[in-house]
Amino acid sequence: MKIAKNSHTNPTSIKTRFALRFLRAIDNLNNNNNISPPLNSADRRKRFRAIRTAAYASMASAVGPNKAWSRAMLRKIRNRTKEMIKPRTRRGAVRGSTNPRNELGLGQEKELRELVPGGEAMDFRRLLNETGHYIQCLRAQVQVMRKILHYSST
Amino acid sequence: MSSRRSRSKNSSGSSRITDDRINELISQLHQLLPEMHNSRSDKRSAGKVLQETCNYIRSLEREVDDLSERLSELLATTDENHAALIRSLLMQ
Repeated sequence: MKIAKNSHTNPTSIKTRFALRFLRAIDNLNNNNNISPPLNSADRRKRFRAIRTAAYASMASAVGPNKAWSRAMLRKIRNRTKEMIKPRTRRGAVRGSTNPRNELGLGQEKELRELVPGGEAMDFRRLLNETGHYIQCLRAQVQVMRKILHYSST
Repeated sequence: MSSRRSRSKNSSGSSRITDDRINELISQLHQLLPEMHNSRSDKRSAGKVLQETCNYIRSLEREVDDLSERLSELLATTDENHAALIRSLLMQ
């Protein structure tokens, strides 16, 4: 499984790339909204969503186009900002037509395909591969976000 | 186990994946999961590993939600010093 070896030997690489992008995104959010702190819950919810989206977008962008999940993630985010009118109910849910292959005959495989961005269309081997990488990146993302939170609140 | 074998034999030509290969990938995935129980066993069934993987992904995404929420609250009370802090982190 081609999990990026450098995530072990050079653990800062993806984290650094993510951190830079994420911090820039937060900075932009700040500059656009620094007049009034969000007082009502709708504004707060909007800001929360913006930050969460920025986190996922920053990670997917830091990973680059060589992974199917990062491409799918960026595509989803771009499409979502285009259709603000129609909120999606379940992230990654595929409506109807495509029938996910059920390699092992297990329900968990279908579940996994819905969790991993772009998972619906992959063959099973690639799904496992992409899942591993996705998990590593999610973990890195969480660690960096924790650090930023920590440094920001002291 | 035999039913699994027959399924992979029946799967169409181009993406024939052997059981060994699947097992290898499943066990690699297993390595990534946090060790919740005392199990160092490699004997985890594929179904269990996939299930734990799904659970793990969901818990990571919940953490992202929580951290985003807290960052958002923090930024709501931001001031000049904070913006400077972020910029200085960017400078490194």
